[in-house]
Amino acid sequence: MGASSRRQFLKQSAAATAGMASWLSLGKAPAFAQKRELTFLSWNHFVPASDEELRKQAAEFGKQAGVSVRVDTIAHLQLPAKRAAEAQAQSGHDLLLTGGADPFLYENQLADVGDVIDDLGKKYGGWYPFAREGSHTGSGWRAIPWFWISFPATYNMTHLKKAGLEYPKTWDELLKHGKVLKKQGNPVGIPISHCADANTTFWSVTWCYGGKVLEADGKTPAINSAQTEKVIEWYKELYKDAMEPEVLSWDDASNNRFILSGKGSWIHNPISPYNAALAKQMPIADEINHHPSPAGPAGTHSAPPINSVAIWKFSKNIQLAKDFVKFLYQKENYDAWIVAANAFNHPPLKHFAEHPIWSKNPKFAMLPKEAEFAHERGWPAKPNAAVQLIQVNYILPDMVAKAINGMPTKRAIAWAEDQVKLAVQGKLETKGKA
Amino acid sequence: MAVGTRVLETVGRARPGRLARAREWWEQEHVFGYSLIVPALALIAGLVAYPFAMAIYFSLSDYWVGSPGSFVGLQNFRDILGNEIFRQTVSNSFVFTIIAVILKAVLGIWLAMLLFRPLRFKRLIRGAVLLPWVIPTALSVLAWRWMFDSLYSVVNWTGIRLGLMNPPGPNWLGMADYAMSAVIAVNVWRGLPFFAIIVLAGLVSIPREYYEAAEVDGASSWGRFRHVTLPLLKPVLAVVILFSTIFTFSDFNIVQVLTAGGPVNTTHLFATFAYQMGLTGGNLGQGAAVSLFLFPLLAAIVFIQLRYIRKE
Repeated sequence: MGASSRRQFLKQSAAATAGMASWLSLGKAPAFAQKRELTFLSWNHFVPASDEELRKQAAEFGKQAGVSVRVDTIAHLQLPAKRAAEAQAQSGHDLLLTGGADPFLYENQLADVGDVIDDLGKKYGGWYPFAREGSHTGSGWRAIPWFWISFPATYNMTHLKKAGLEYPKTWDELLKHGKVLKKQGNPVGIPISHCADANTTFWSVTWCYGGKVLEADGKTPAINSAQTEKVIEWYKELYKDAMEPEVLSWDDASNNRFILSGKGSWIHNPISPYNAALAKQMPIADEINHHPSPAGPAGTHSAPPINSVAIWKFSKNIQLAKDFVKFLYQKENYDAWIVAANAFNHPPLKHFAEHPIWSKNPKFAMLPKEAEFAHERGWPAKPNAAVQLIQVNYILPDMVAKAINGMPTKRAIAWAEDQVKLAVQGKLETKGKA
Repeated sequence: MAVGTRVLETVGRARPGRLARAREWWEQEHVFGYSLIVPALALIAGLVAYPFAMAIYFSLSDYWVGSPGSFVGLQNFRDILGNEIFRQTVSNSFVFTIIAVILKAVLGIWLAMLLFRPLRFKRLIRGAVLLPWVIPTALSVLAWRWMFDSLYSVVNWTGIRLGLMNPPGPNWLGMADYAMSAVIAVNVWRGLPFFAIIVLAGLVSIPREYYEAAEVDGASSWGRFRHVTLPLLKPVLAVVILFSTIFTFSDFNIVQVLTAGGPVNTTHLFATFAYQMGLTGGNLGQGAAVSLFLFPLLAAIVFIQLRYIRKE
């Protein structure tokens, strides 16, 4: 290669690099007009039409407020890492989807939203009790509950009818029915594995039997109790006489497949299998129905997934973000969004729960009521960092699985108690008491 | 090499202007050479060195997502050592890595020998062998998940039809030993092509004369393998085993998608447990400690093996 051609190459590439560098350092495409932008980080909703409606409303808000609103959605499993990265970098979106322990983990990073909470609560009949449990930290409201996902029981009417049974009102009854149903060839199913549903059901069952994992102070282990023992014995019997060993390997979709295959007779899950059966026009949709999450000696309690919206403290558009949230909660907008998600998004505000999409459908009618006995994980403790570790490390289903695999119940509980202690040791300083 | 004023003078140009002087400076060997290295260096510093240093810092602090922590020394390491799940993770990782690497080495050499033979459609077959390695792991493992599914397992269906299993067949992802076998099987399936292709490259480079000489001396095919192929493959094998050991120890996708560490943590590896602790659980300090725990050991393995290779 001659010297001149090398020189030419260098000149051209230097020019290109310089151009590129100035373009990159500006951080945006060169020719666009400046417009204030509000950004929202959410997940890919399980019902995609829900996100479409959200984007439509975001565009509408943008038009009214003279800004542009960008809604970014990512897979829900990527959300924790993305959130952590934004907190670390102190930059990113203005609003973000939160849930579980997030308002507590990011307590110091999230803007106070107490004014929005008061405003919306007054307007729409008040918040359900779980709203405060999950979004009010020691230093105030750190998130605005957005929607919760009902977690009723889903059952196959044909199988229960064949066995001459009504749907089970209590967990004890489920055990009794389950034994009959398994003999009939239609076992029931609750995952006892590393999946979110396994956690959800365990919390419901343990609360219904009067058990708890932590005391209300959020740091004293309370799992070592006669109630937990009872829960484990109940699980063991259910596993042996009413379920198949496959529940030990289930993921969050397995129980859907189990009921849709026509083999299973009963699962504890959101309404997604029914909606999937409807969407795919599977004949089994006619056989599927829902009933309220079962009760126990200590009443009815359930642990549905609860999602909220929060605003980063580092956002330069905090007021605008609050206005946007209020816009989303305007009656006509929230209603349209409920319809778009085909009844999947449940409102944390009482007035919205009266939407006809539930009351007019006998298979959905009982769903909004579940909000009254819903709690955040960890209850009576707040869903703090320790609860988060207990959840993500699947301590509770693993305790049950250990007992099922032959470990004496008391030893399994002692193992879980050790793990709860380790989680509490996490030493995360929070501002106020939970 | 340096193109300086002398060159310009010989060409008969006038006194160099400012631009020309800048060019002259730029084209000096040490300036030009180093500026070519700078981008790569910046990449390594930004994407490898910085995160690594941060990880070390995190592991020595009680850092939680969203709240900067303070220096706590080796407390995180003491804490994780006291955690039964972590001790289980350590033993899982060794079982997983040792069995998977041995299987990959033995099967890899075998596969390479098969591919080395004169075959029809040689190129096509060699290309096809690489497929498991080329497909994005998350996708292929999802397919494996279906094959091991508790309700619709095609593995069990086949086994039962062939009379090898009693219905309903093993609960692959629900029982500790089966789950570990499943995870190892998928890792071997995925890592085998890497082994085979590199060993194949090693085989190709062995001069034919050695085999001919061995044949003349009356060596059997096993003797030829034992005394010609294996010794000459040693350097290549050492490198592949080194890389494979590191890749296998740090595997994440396969376990995360197939079992999420279950049943009862019997398939957790360092990477999956660190992710669970640090990112989904929010305890960055302990998460970093989990992922760095093996670093000294791996560094030692690399050091010893590289020295050995150099000696050879």
